[in-house]
Amino acid sequence: MRGARQDRPASGWNVSVGSRVLRLADLVRERTLDGAIATTSIMLYVFLLAPIVVVVLYSFNRSETGFVWTGFSTSWYVRLFHDAGMRDGIRVSFVVGITTAFISTVFGTMASYAMARRTFRGRNAFNALVLMPLVVPEIVLAVALLVFFVRVGGSLGYFSLIAGHLLVVLPYSTLILLAAVSGIDQALEEAAADLGANSWGVFRYVILPLLIPGMATSFALAFLFSFDDIVMSTFVSGVGTTTLPMLVYSMLRQGVSPEVNALGTLLIAATLVVLLTTGVRQATVAMKKGGGQPFV
Amino acid sequence: MKKRQIALATLALVLTGLLVAFSAGCGGSEASTTTAAAGDTTTSTAVTTTDTTADNRELHIYGWRGEIPQEIVDGFQAATGIETTFDAFDSNESLVAKLQSGATGYDIVNPSGYAVQQLAQLDLILALDHSKLVGLDNISPKFREVVYDPGNKYALPWVWGTTGLAYNDEFIKEPIEGWSDLWNPAYSGHIVMLDNMLAAYIAALQLNGFSINTNNPEEIAKATESLSEQKALLLSYNSTNQGQLLTQGQAWIVQAWSSSITSVAADNPNIHYVLPKEGGSFWVDSLAIVKSSENVESAYAFMNYILQPEVAAQITDLSKMATTNQAAIPFVDEKYRNDPSIFVPVDRLSNAEMLLDSSAQTQLVQADWTKVRAQ
Repeated sequence: MRGARQDRPASGWNVSVGSRVLRLADLVRERTLDGAIATTSIMLYVFLLAPIVVVVLYSFNRSETGFVWTGFSTSWYVRLFHDAGMRDGIRVSFVVGITTAFISTVFGTMASYAMARRTFRGRNAFNALVLMPLVVPEIVLAVALLVFFVRVGGSLGYFSLIAGHLLVVLPYSTLILLAAVSGIDQALEEAAADLGANSWGVFRYVILPLLIPGMATSFALAFLFSFDDIVMSTFVSGVGTTTLPMLVYSMLRQGVSPEVNALGTLLIAATLVVLLTTGVRQATVAMKKGGGQPFV
Repeated sequence: MKKRQIALATLALVLTGLLVAFSAGCGGSEASTTTAAAGDTTTSTAVTTTDTTADNRELHIYGWRGEIPQEIVDGFQAATGIETTFDAFDSNESLVAKLQSGATGYDIVNPSGYAVQQLAQLDLILALDHSKLVGLDNISPKFREVVYDPGNKYALPWVWGTTGLAYNDEFIKEPIEGWSDLWNPAYSGHIVMLDNMLAAYIAALQLNGFSINTNNPEEIAKATESLSEQKALLLSYNSTNQGQLLTQGQAWIVQAWSSSITSVAADNPNIHYVLPKEGGSFWVDSLAIVKSSENVESAYAFMNYILQPEVAAQITDLSKMATTNQAAIPFVDEKYRNDPSIFVPVDRLSNAEMLLDSSAQTQLVQADWTKVRAQ
């Protein structure tokens, strides 16, 4: 946009020197602004990513406590691989997380499409109900759900955990997908209908492909929220279904061992692998298409 | 392009699935370290238990992770063949709330002193049948008549610790005596208190010469005043990593539970744990059997297993928490036996109080604590 500045009409007196000074001042101001933005952005990213770097670094620290470097060691990884309790926690968290994310995305897609494209009786009530768990404190939801399960006679376990996590996560999925669906031009759907598609056809051939980025985001976010969740998990988990955050919080009383750093590093590595394989491809595809659909 | 994206997404899912499978399948490789320690011949296979065929030969433990080491759970399973699972909770309050809401499936729980009282009052735990316990006499007399559960009616005390303070002598050269040192303006900005209402009031009440179990509103108000005054001097309220802050030197003096200081003090000889002269508090974690348990016999079998001196010693070695089992002391690793943050010398314990359950006190304290934190 630097070129635009040169379109400024020349002022009446001292045209050559005056306008050159003005252009110089603009240039300096712009460059300084660019520099300031760049510096601030870099600082922000460093600030956000620094803890991750620290976690990775100190997973190789021999010392058991503190952030004092005493030597390189992979003993915490070894300990982690032999720690059955941790492995169970990881497994439970992953299974519940992926299942919750999947179900949440499916239901979120259906709900958001209905909310965005259809009018039906009780629509306002439906909208409110879907979003209500966002307003109710999680501990209230958790205890209520536990009491519900007990009364109904269900046993606590994977089912109750997934149900609880869904309760927490569905509103977020629905909101993300609602934004994505709303961003799809209705003219496309109408065109498809004109070409002979019934409503299922419109959904399958027009909406669904365009929603894939939104669904990916919803899946990722739902998984993250579910994996991280502590309050709901504490109350609705059953025997043999302790999630990873519960394990870590339980360790706090004795001091968290650096095994957790090793675990964190492995999770970061896994995330990077997933991101690099899918995300980079997405970005290059979008760039090649000349900025096609927005990555919601 | 669309197919490629789907393929990549599937690949990502498959990778995640493999990670899950890996974490599930890579099991059973850890050798169960049973009580073969100290070359003794009375191994765990000689556990005399009552008839365990009456139940499903399963056991579900719900406790503090780390306090009930996985090796002990595995050892018990190997010794008796009882399928054992372990689940973790993060606070006594969660435990009580969950059991109170009606959660079932747990057989043995691991409450602290005042939580035993609460659970007993709510009729959530069974009164122990002492005839089924073998080796109850191994428990030191100090723990047989604990204030919160006289005669060990409801719970078997198993590890104990204290709440006191720790300091780094690199920065503090004067002798540290008690809670009053946490209010010393000379250390302003380098003091950390536990982020725990009960712990904070233990310090503030004892500082003012009151009992930690008082219900007297004036005494509690005085303690609240002390906490408010202290807030300006604090670095933070922190229950998660006071040990690290101490080692790094950001904190010079912290209020702490003994169990969280032990490993830090072992690493760093400048760190010392002190039970304050005003008394400090002394807590006991116990094992109790849930009323709705369907594996009561297995629960007794577990209790009998850990009452054995060698196993109790192993618990201390692994968790670095002091065992209540006096017969176990000779078997405990020497460096832990002599560690004053684990086994606090008896003479210093005489002033220490045990925190008891009191809803009257909680109501008064809760509102005040919120005020202190909010200011």
